[in-house]
This record gives sequence, structure tokens and C-alpha cells, in this order.
Amino acid sequence: MVYTRKSPALTIIGLILLAHSYLVKNGQLEAVVKYLSLTRAVGEMTQLSLIFGGIALVVGLWHWFADHKEGDLDYYLGSVAGGIFILFVAMIVKWYFDPLVAQLSREIGPVIPGRRFIHDVFGLNYVVLGIVLGMVIVNVFKIPEWAQHGVRLSRLGLKTGVILLGTLYSFRELVHLGQLSVVMIGVFVLGSVWLVLLIGARRKIPNSMGGVLSAGVGVCGVSAAVAAAPVVQAKSEEIAYTIGTILVFGVICMFLFPVVGHLLGMGYVQFGAWAGTGILNSAQVAGAALAFQPNGIETLKVAEIFNITRVLFLPIIVLWLAVWYVKRETEAGATNLVQVDTGKVIIEKFPVFVLGFIAMFLLSSTGVFAPAQHYQGRYFDNTNVSGSRLLNDAELTTLRTESAKLQRDDQKAALGRLIDNKKVMSIADSDVLRGIVSARTLAGPANAAITKANGAVFHTAKMIAAFRDWLTWLFAFGLTGLGMQITIAAMRQAGGEPLVIGSAVGVAKAVLSLIVVVMLVRETI
Amino acid sequence: MADPNSQNIDLRTTENGFKYHRGSALSIFKSDRREDIVALICALAIALGVYLFIGN
Repeated sequence: MVYTRKSPALTIIGLILLAHSYLVKNGQLEAVVKYLSLTRAVGEMTQLSLIFGGIALVVGLWHWFADHKEGDLDYYLGSVAGGIFILFVAMIVKWYFDPLVAQLSREIGPVIPGRRFIHDVFGLNYVVLGIVLGMVIVNVFKIPEWAQHGVRLSRLGLKTGVILLGTLYSFRELVHLGQLSVVMIGVFVLGSVWLVLLIGARRKIPNSMGGVLSAGVGVCGVSAAVAAAPVVQAKSEEIAYTIGTILVFGVICMFLFPVVGHLLGMGYVQFGAWAGTGILNSAQVAGAALAFQPNGIETLKVAEIFNITRVLFLPIIVLWLAVWYVKRETEAGATNLVQVDTGKVIIEKFPVFVLGFIAMFLLSSTGVFAPAQHYQGRYFDNTNVSGSRLLNDAELTTLRTESAKLQRDDQKAALGRLIDNKKVMSIADSDVLRGIVSARTLAGPANAAITKANGAVFHTAKMIAAFRDWLTWLFAFGLTGLGMQITIAAMRQAGGEPLVIGSAVGVAKAVLSLIVVVMLVRETI
Repeated sequence: MADPNSQNIDLRTTENGFKYHRGSALSIFKSDRREDIVALICALAIALGVYLFIGN
């Protein structure tokens, strides 16, 4: 089978991107840039359009004019068209559609007290809009034939993003979130799998159907269902039913979770923990987290730790299902069963991308991308504070006067060192001083001086900032492509028992995890 | 399923028959393991690029 299509489409996209880069760079789109508040994105718009426009033009010409024969070159280079198609749609959404929706929403004015606009309330940002546009394209217009093959690259983008996410965690964050996630995920994964198997047995669905559905609903969605399928000897239609159920439920959750999170006033850690536990499919966890907080990745980081923790449960669940299936079928009198090799199952099913995430975290922990003690990409360094950023005489006088209000010895000592040195002297002092500001013990000018001093000794690591940009685009790419794979036909396949059982357990998991998160998870890392 | 590592499933199987003779409807790769390894290579390439071209 030859995958590459002889079409001018990719060449045309390449020319459009190159023209876009030229127009943005030379200010011909200045009026649009100003209206949509895109000034900060101009550099990115110029560079990305130039790079990917060039790639699209070169590969596009090859697609259009070369003679294609079946083989690896045709298979892998043929997928570039679909990949660029996803990226092109993601660029339109991120640079134009999302800012336009936000602008129109602001022009309409706040819809609820507290200056919340329509796009805030419904979480209409580039993630949600990208997925929706992807779904509209596939279900209304159909994916163009020349792009269909490469649209299957979207999950690769998501996995690459998850691995790179490892660079952004500090040891302190990972230890805290890791403990929290293992307990929560352990309870909910094992509980969900058990519940699906129990209900499945009561409703007399085939063991293979129950097994594959329990993995999909309990662990991490589509990948888990596919991984568990061989050990429970699931048929293709049973896998399709499970995937349909996960997609239906996952799509609803992806749009509903952020709205509920905002309405309940959840913080980043709380929402991340809830999404990472309650949403069935890994891809949709990232979608919900970015939809909840589109202009930062704190929520995504928390959600992905929970997601990765449950992915780590996959080999255990596959093993459990293998043993369970053999036992159930033997009881039913089956004779053609394969013996379960525990070690082989664990090795075969262990998700390598999780190892990649851990490897990237360990690499980052050596300090190669940012000082090892960085926290959320910012690190402490008070050695090169410029004169203008040191506290001035007026600020020192204010702090001396206000220091009498402090009662605690550690706070007095930290403030004393700040006054003596005109700058913050350690991370411990910084923490104590931030506590003083949070408690609002001192007057406004004194708090402003402390905030200024703290700002002067914390720096953003350039490489970490670059990783954040990469992540934004990898997830935009992956999630827009995910939208293009959510077909009405696929969701229809979920009908009947699997949808009833999967939805019942999914709702229970979402509601119970919400209660646990709201009651037990604190908004601190 | 003949190959235990295969993702030989297609959501549109019942409507259109199999569309791809390699990979699945969700991925161009033969197995999750292969996709993971390619993702790892991509991530390492990006990390190396960031390290070499951005620097601290």
C-alpha cells in the first residue's frame, strides 16, 4: 500500500506559512496583531511559520512530484502531510481563533459577578477550541485524504510532551505529589477495575469484554484497553466498544471538568489531582488541565503526575486481569487457555514513555537545564543583584519602622538580614519573608519592598522557559489531532452494556475523586 | 489478535474495513512500545537542541 498522496496541498500550506512569516515580520499584519493583543507572540509566529513552512514546502514538493513506492520512506515521509495539517490548524487556533474569541468575549462584557467573561466561564481557550475544531473537521468536513495517514501522529506529540514535562519538576514537587498520587490513584484504579469486573459479572457480559473495559476505565483509557486486550483474549469489537465508551465519557469530562473546577473555585493542585484521577483517558487529562489553566502549566504538571502514576499501575492491572481471566474461564470450562508468564507480562506492558519522563526528571535534577533547586522553573541566586534592584534608603527606613510589628523570632531575624544586606540572603529567608507578606502583618509599602527584594533574587531559567514553549505546542498539536480522531461513528460503537457499565463506574470515580480532592488536597506543593 | 503487541484495531473497522496495513487508527506505529521509544528519541532531541541553542 502506498501512503503518500500526489497532492499540491502540503506545498500550498508551506507557501501560506512562509507568506505568514514574511507578513508578520514586516509588520503587514500589525493591525490584526494589535487588535488580538498578539504582540508577545510575534517572534514565535515569525519563527515557527518560517521553519514549518520551509519543511512543508520541501516535503510537499516531494509528495507532489516524486514517484512513490511502497516502503518505509513512503510510509514515514508520507505522514508529514497529516502532521503539518494538524500543526497548521493548531497555529490558526492558537494565534487567531483563541485570541479572537477572547477579544469578542471581552467586548460582550462580564457575564457573572467577579468580572468573569464567557470564554473564562466555559474555558474557551486554544486547547478546547483546537479539539472542537478537530472534531468538526473530522465529522463535518472529513479529514482530507492526503492528511489522513499523518493525523495518527498526534499521540506521538502527546507522549513526547509528557516525557519533556519531566524537565519541569523539582525534587520537592515530585516527592510531595508522588506520595499524594500513589495513595489516591492506588485506591481509585484498583477500585474502578474491581467495580467494573463485579458489575460485568453481575450483568453477565463476556469475561473478555469485562476485562478490557475494566482496564480502560480503571487505568488510563485507550492504551490500557489495548494493552490488556491480548491477556483477556478480547475481540476487536470489544476493544472498539471499550474505546468508544472511553471516548464518549472522556470527551464529556474534558469539557465539563474545567467548568466545574472554575465554578467550585478549585486551585491548580486540586484540579490537577482531580483531572488526573477522575478522567479516564490520558490524552483528555492533558486537555482538561490545559483547558482549566491555558496560560500556565502548573495544573498540567500536577495532573500528569497523577496520570503517570496510574500508567505505572498498568502492568499490575494487566497481570491481575491475566490471572483473573484464566481463573474465570477455567471455572467456565475453557481448555484452550495460555499460561500467564508474570515476568513477561510486566516487561512487555511496562510503558517506556514513563521511564522517559523519569529519565528526563533525573537529568533535570543534575542541574543541566536549571539549578537543581529550581522550583517551577525559577531559581534562587543573590550573587548578581544589580544596584537598582537592591532595596533603597526609603524602603529600608519603611522596613525598619514596620519591623516592630513582628512577633516571631524567625521573621524578625529574616527581616533583619534583609535590612542589613539590602537583598534576600537565602531561600529559607525568602520563604519566611513571603509568609510575612501573605499574613499582611506589615503595611503596604513594606510588603511591596519585600516583594521587590524577593523578585530580585529569583530568576527564570531560560532553558526551562524554552521547554514550556515546546510543551505548549506539543500538547496543542497532540490535542488538536486527538479531536480529529474523535468520530461520531467511533462513539456510536459504545452502545449497550459497555457504555452503561463504563459510564456508571466513570461517574462514580469522577464524583468520589472530586469529594476526596476537595476534602483532602491542599493548594500547596 | 495474532501479535500480542499489535494495536491492530480500527475504530472504523465495521464501517469501512481496515484502512491501514501498518499501525492502527490511533498511531502510525506498530506497537505502543515503538511509539514510546520514538517519543523518547524526539524528547531527547528537543532537550539536546534546547541545551545547545538556548543555554542558561
